[in-house]
Amino acid sequence: MISRSELKKLIQREPKFDDIMCSLQMGPKIPKAMIGETKKVVAIARKFNDEVVSPYVLELDSKMHEDPEFLPWDFVEQANKWGFYTMWIPKIFGGKGYNFPSLSYFLEEIGSVCLSMANLIGVHYLGFATLTATWHTPIIKKLCNDVAQGEKNGLPCLISLATTEPDAGTDVEEVELLDKGSVTCHAKRVNYGYLVNGSKVFISNGHISQWHILIAYSNLEKASENAVVLAVKSGNKGFSFGRQEHKMGQKGCPASELIFKDCFISDEYVCLDSNQLSKGKQKRSNKELFMQVLDSVLAVSRAGVGAFGTGAARGAFEQAVKFALETEVDGKLMINFEWVQCVLAEMYKNVIVSRLTYVESNYANCLYGFYKILQKKVVFYSLKFTPIFLIKKFISPLLEKPLATSFFRKIQMDMLKDEAMHRTSGWASLSKFTTTDAGVKNCQMALEIMGQAGLRHDKRTEKLLRDAKLLQIYEGTNQLNRLNVFKCLIAGKNPKVVMFEE
Amino acid sequence: MIAGSDKELRLLDKTVYEFARKQLAPSREENDLFPYGPFFNSTLEKAFEADFFHTILPERLSGMGHGISAFCILLENICREDSSLAGIIFTNSVSQEIMLLAESENLLEKIITAANTVKDFLIAFPVFNNPTERNPLLSAEKSDESYFLSGSIEYLVLGSIANYALLPAKLSEIIGYSFFLIELSDKGVQKSEPVQSLGLHSCPAIDIKLENVKGQLVGKKGKGNVYFEKMSDRMHVAAAAMSAGIMKGSFKEAFEYSRKRFQGGREIINWSEMKMIQANMALKEKISEMIVSRACHAVDNKEPGWEESSRAAALHVQEMACNLTTDGIQALGGVGYMKDYGQEKRFRDAKHIQALLGIVPLRKIKYIEKKMK
Repeated sequence: MISRSELKKLIQREPKFDDIMCSLQMGPKIPKAMIGETKKVVAIARKFNDEVVSPYVLELDSKMHEDPEFLPWDFVEQANKWGFYTMWIPKIFGGKGYNFPSLSYFLEEIGSVCLSMANLIGVHYLGFATLTATWHTPIIKKLCNDVAQGEKNGLPCLISLATTEPDAGTDVEEVELLDKGSVTCHAKRVNYGYLVNGSKVFISNGHISQWHILIAYSNLEKASENAVVLAVKSGNKGFSFGRQEHKMGQKGCPASELIFKDCFISDEYVCLDSNQLSKGKQKRSNKELFMQVLDSVLAVSRAGVGAFGTGAARGAFEQAVKFALETEVDGKLMINFEWVQCVLAEMYKNVIVSRLTYVESNYANCLYGFYKILQKKVVFYSLKFTPIFLIKKFISPLLEKPLATSFFRKIQMDMLKDEAMHRTSGWASLSKFTTTDAGVKNCQMALEIMGQAGLRHDKRTEKLLRDAKLLQIYEGTNQLNRLNVFKCLIAGKNPKVVMFEE
Repeated sequence: MIAGSDKELRLLDKTVYEFARKQLAPSREENDLFPYGPFFNSTLEKAFEADFFHTILPERLSGMGHGISAFCILLENICREDSSLAGIIFTNSVSQEIMLLAESENLLEKIITAANTVKDFLIAFPVFNNPTERNPLLSAEKSDESYFLSGSIEYLVLGSIANYALLPAKLSEIIGYSFFLIELSDKGVQKSEPVQSLGLHSCPAIDIKLENVKGQLVGKKGKGNVYFEKMSDRMHVAAAAMSAGIMKGSFKEAFEYSRKRFQGGREIINWSEMKMIQANMALKEKISEMIVSRACHAVDNKEPGWEESSRAAALHVQEMACNLTTDGIQALGGVGYMKDYGQEKRFRDAKHIQALLGIVPLRKIKYIEKKMK
């Protein structure tokens, strides 16, 4: 009925089969044990919610209202005790090696109760993902080792990502805007390292992190071609913390200013220098390489925010159901009115659709993203069943070698097709704006049903709304994410399309 | 709210906006800290001295005798900068309006005449609740010629700063509920700390428990719902005006910011998507202004169906305000979410105000049920 060549041609037509059927393609490739592992993660998250998050959520928020400079060390230590900062670090880097997609389900669970606490844990993995996207294996190993040590000795070691600047928010997330923008964080090449001057703002977890993955620029006029990614430790000479932002919500996760004044970072902690990289045999230009690094991080982090948005939508839905079950109107239980049932169904739909988008984004990452290698059955099961002592003895030492860095950069950067990058980046953005809009919408709907009760802090719903609104802004505003979906999944190779002009 | 050609209204418009700009805007962040920061007593007194609390009262009660249009102009301009003060004025006016409808003018006059400070003048009310929506109500027992109230009331607005409260309570063997005026200093009144809330932080609400607290009947027994609904008919448009004011403030701040902030090498207003967002905000703001003005005209002139106009205005404009203020934060990006700018407060206040006078979906159901009669 249809020839092979016809088949190939027809499924390449828009919408491309590979763009829209990640879940179908990933289905047979999923290591079966991933399902059991994910169930375990969800169960752990629910237990953590019952024992830690739920009893503390309102108290933490009230504390932050009273003292906006308060830092939630108690919670940071609790999460450390439960092992969350190493849970999704691969075993080859000294972590527990849970499958990366399961982090999304975990974040949804925690986010349905408290987005602050979900973000606090999630942002550590944003820092880790950025570090990993540079594929500088000795530095990755070093920092992950510090995180693991922090878990052992009870002194939490978190990693933050420092990219946003006072005059560059949207601009730092898109290379086409970067050179037109106004970045000021300068990394000047000196003997044996870089000297950094400038500041970063709105850095989640800044004040409570020990390591900061800093994106600076060796040439501020052509920032997109001169990006430098550095690992900076708290306490480094020339590095200090500035103000802690007073936010409307997500108060339990600090947003910090980081200040660099002649801060020297040695070559030992240069994760990536796009100038040095392109002198090797990379096939992409500096600018393209840097966008590739950004895209591979955002493809994962925006799916994570997709999970937060779903959590917000779900939390609001659950509060609304609870209220409708407990409240009488005209002597009848509210939940028995059809208009209430329809509103709750609409809210439920928002939760389900949101979840489907971040799950699909996860599948895209499993097939094409920067952790795809870990999802291959042979790698997954090898790492799962190889004892830690063998990994430490035979695999970890290899990661110290420059050859390991070259190897990973070859397969993860050089061999990555543009199509694959667009797919993962586009799906992550789609998930991000879909779920976060749904999260805010559900919170607003819940408050409408609850009326006076919803206005009270002790009913939890108004806090969900305040927390949810930030999801539409960070990791790129929802407007930027829409543009990214257009760029990656709609524009195709149409020569008439021009981005970031009008 | 369009002041039109009426000189007095135009003067009021200008005066109140200047007050909001000079007295409210500079200390907005500080005032919003309440209850974790000080209450803005001095600003409240200044508003009282400027007769803001007298705008809607009849002249015979030392009021300005203006109609609802003047009251809406007042509330709208205050809400452009800080809705908490408007919340206080609105709540107090709701209490006064009910007392007037219940023909308890003498009682109201005693309170007004004896008031030396604004706090003596205020009457607390559970203004985010329609008493028919919530069970159980307080219970009231008659003993000799007096009434004694017991039970608990959640979210009594102004309960921590007013001397009096107007409360709905159920008399046994009487269908419906009645209103009673109590003194909040009565020893049978137990007050909670101010309830931490979404918005209107400086318009404080508390929970109270009453044990045999003496109350004066306001109006006729069992007619509480009649007075509440009649008050609602008139005051809905005032709630709409509050939302319209928030929209004005939010759009203004977003528009000004987007003309100064650079991203991608140009002012962000010069990116077409931002233009579209701002255009949608501008349209909503203009439409709400027109709706409130038209509804005020209908109310003041007692046009046929004025009650519907007032309620419809509130339901629609409040929803528009919630949507607009979401974009109001979005237009400023990360800084829009921070407390040093006014947008996040407007977002919270818009949602908070949407709950005035009862649950939104139930107000909509009531709207159509009235048309069915």
